[in-house]
Amino acid sequence: MTLGATSDIVGTKTQGRGLIGLLLVAIPVVLVAWMVIYPIISAVVTTLWMPDANGTDAFTLKTYRFFFSDGYSLANLQLTLWTTALCGIILLVVCLPIALYLRFAKGRLAAYVQGLAIFPLFVPSIILSYAFIRVLGPNGMVDIILNAMHLPKIRTPYLTPWGPLIGLVWDHIPLTVLILLAGLGVVSDASVEAARDVGAGRFRVFWNIILPKLGNSILVAVSFAVLGIFSSFTLPYVLGPAAPEMMGPFMQRTFRDLYDAPNAITQAVISFFFCIVFGLFYVRSVVKNQRGRG
Amino acid sequence: MATEGFVARPRIDWIGIAFAVVLTLVIIFPLLVVGTWAFANVWRYPNLVPQEFGLRYWYQTLARPDVWQAITTSISLAVSVTAISAVVCLPAAFAFARLQFPFRSLLFFSFIAGQAFPKFGLLVAIAGIFLSLNLIGTFWGVVLIQLVGTLLYMIWIPVAAFQSVDRRMEEAARDVGASPLRVFWSITLPQAGPTIAAAVLLTFVNTFYETEGAWLIGAPQVRTMPILMISFINNQPVIQYGAVLSVILWLPSFFALLFARRVISGGSFARGFGA
Repeated sequence: MTLGATSDIVGTKTQGRGLIGLLLVAIPVVLVAWMVIYPIISAVVTTLWMPDANGTDAFTLKTYRFFFSDGYSLANLQLTLWTTALCGIILLVVCLPIALYLRFAKGRLAAYVQGLAIFPLFVPSIILSYAFIRVLGPNGMVDIILNAMHLPKIRTPYLTPWGPLIGLVWDHIPLTVLILLAGLGVVSDASVEAARDVGAGRFRVFWNIILPKLGNSILVAVSFAVLGIFSSFTLPYVLGPAAPEMMGPFMQRTFRDLYDAPNAITQAVISFFFCIVFGLFYVRSVVKNQRGRG
Repeated sequence: MATEGFVARPRIDWIGIAFAVVLTLVIIFPLLVVGTWAFANVWRYPNLVPQEFGLRYWYQTLARPDVWQAITTSISLAVSVTAISAVVCLPAAFAFARLQFPFRSLLFFSFIAGQAFPKFGLLVAIAGIFLSLNLIGTFWGVVLIQLVGTLLYMIWIPVAAFQSVDRRMEEAARDVGASPLRVFWSITLPQAGPTIAAAVLLTFVNTFYETEGAWLIGAPQVRTMPILMISFINNQPVIQYGAVLSVILWLPSFFALLFARRVISGGSFARGFGA
């Protein structure tokens, strides 16, 4: 989508049309400024300038110092980083082969595989959580089947760090596959066939022809996943352990149960900080894409 | 049936079969288990299938006042947010697509600013602002926070729709004397309509399932269906209530699936996410 030249379809006089345009976009722009940009700036400012002993606002790092000296906060941050990193890696390992298969396969079986890979988009996380417990939870479907085969029960991942991890991977499969598949669109059949003709094996073709062109899409897919997983709330809250907890439930509990807004907002700013590189890269790619289209 | 080339010989597509089997097990099977629970009157461990099928828990679930209250809350929230979003965003989308005004590009791309930040962190930052406005625990606080989440797609998708309308037809209509409003109503809207309808539907469905903003801002006063579902998972010993609620809760997604799958399978959807 590019914002190219406009035509005079609206039929107003050229003069004053700038004003009409601005008026039409005013409400959403004000909403974004007030509810996205202002809260971010405000979050940084209010956690750095707090009333001191005399009641006057002064520069302070005390909430940040507390976070980085508090063992529980650090354990939560560590769990979040562990989950995010592992999810990112598993997603690539799972989704790259699916995307490669879908790029080169045709026919009904490929359509079925694509349908399945996209399906989780249409399953809300909360239903996924419930299904997870019914299948992998204690006395769940897997236990029932193992029991029927006279095998021992599994050690359930429910309420362990593996619970949210499995759920988050499940949840992020569709968009990861779609982003990688769109990236694979630029790899031409001709270049792959040419490499095959000179005797390159599948791995060589992947490594030398496909991967160099896919690098950017992999980074976009990873950035998108990191932004979604780092501060995910529902799945870690329902499936994860009570302690340590991921940043999402941690922030929610600090804000709503402990009524400690300054520390909750500090945790939010810290999660902004950890994601900022991915966030900026992701937004840059989307903007570049939108500009380059049309 | 993979064709010649990278993946497989044209005979039997073993790789495809393997993917199909594994993905069916991982993605469809858990949902089938939930569906089975919803129609199980009695299912005691370790039976492979329920001892008794039936609709008993549908009657019991639908007789609960908290379920009906959650359904009403969720629908009124989703309708309010979608309606406000459409009223506010569609004229803006038209302006971005067709009018020339100062800072057009900058304002257009400002809608993506929020995507650079982890979502729940952003919600907590917004909640910090709401705290001083006494919007915590109110219906309109939840509407506002969910509205912000709809802006990006409610503007970007319709902008693409308005831009893909055939300009020559509009000009031809103008040439034979149609008024601007008439052109908009008879030429522009019918062409842009289906995409805009898809955007409205996706906004409704996403808002219906939005859990994090509703939980952070609304709970416990505003109880939507996903929030009720969380409390069923955490505190409800009767498994079937959650299963029945899951099936009811899935219905909007099912409609979205019917209407939007084609849109999503196309490459332009993924490109919207920066691919």
